[in-house]
Amino acid sequence: MHIMLNDTPLQLATNCTVAELVQQQQLKTEGLAVAIDNVVIAKQHWGKHQVQNNAQVQLFQIVTGG
Amino acid sequence: MLHIANKSFSSRLLLGSGKFASPGLMQQAIQASGCQLVTLALKRLQLDQPQDDLLSPMRQMNIQLLPNTSGAKTAKEAIFAAQLARDALQTNWLKLEIHPDPRYLMPDPIETLLAAEQLVKLGFVVLPYCSADPVLCKRLEQAGCAAVMPLGAAIGSNQGLQTRAMLEIIIEQATVPVIIDAGLGAPSHAAAAMELGASAVLVNTAIAASQYPVAMAGAFAQAVNAGRMAYNAGLATAQPHATASSPLTDFLAAL
Repeated sequence: MHIMLNDTPLQLATNCTVAELVQQQQLKTEGLAVAIDNVVIAKQHWGKHQVQNNAQVQLFQIVTGG
Repeated sequence: MLHIANKSFSSRLLLGSGKFASPGLMQQAIQASGCQLVTLALKRLQLDQPQDDLLSPMRQMNIQLLPNTSGAKTAKEAIFAAQLARDALQTNWLKLEIHPDPRYLMPDPIETLLAAEQLVKLGFVVLPYCSADPVLCKRLEQAGCAAVMPLGAAIGSNQGLQTRAMLEIIIEQATVPVIIDAGLGAPSHAAAAMELGASAVLVNTAIAASQYPVAMAGAFAQAVNAGRMAYNAGLATAQPHATASSPLTDFLAAL
């Protein structure tokens, strides 16, 4: 399966959920937000939401700012 | 106490978390300021860089985190950023800011009002950064914003209360807290804003970019308190002529 992760091509061996993708990327979940095809996927749905082939996955994080 | 939406704060100083030389210095400044509301921003994750552990220490400080929508140029982008921020921080509090012009960072009043109306309907506690426009502030209030955040001067300009006359009208008319945001470059600017009757001020650059940010955070905290005390005490009225503070009797006339 092929996806774009923050504009970087990524091949995934199997289908996965958002939670599994985040885990595979070894990301801390606090302060992290995920959107797929410009739709925010709420954390409570990460475990069930399947990442589709050719999905545009965007990862965002909280940073300092005024 | 400062009351915003369903929360109360003993500090009337809000702090922006940007521009500090290190996370540790930022945390020390937050503590020195006594502030209980701290703004944060959102950005796309850099996959080739480690994630900052910014939040763990801030969670322990018992402060309300206030994500902003900085970087949004339209209402649509701001609403998207708001939804991301809500999920990232698990808070529906939001500092709404939409500034399409990178040179002066002036907030777009039309897009800000459009976004505020939508975000309130989506359940956000919206604190919009906005122009010091009394009509706009009233419209934002009527849209359901929990506070308004008119600018004193351009973001990061340190120019103080350039919009003073408009701020006076906004404060007079407001039924929600008025938080003066942006442009406050010195503690005296913060004190002046509080003397006008502002509910609170938000400061970032003046503290973070000072030579000693922790000391400056303490100075701003004292200025905010002094300004509020003066406002509550009631300032003497400015007069066009001198009025003597001592009796002007003729006891020296015999010399």
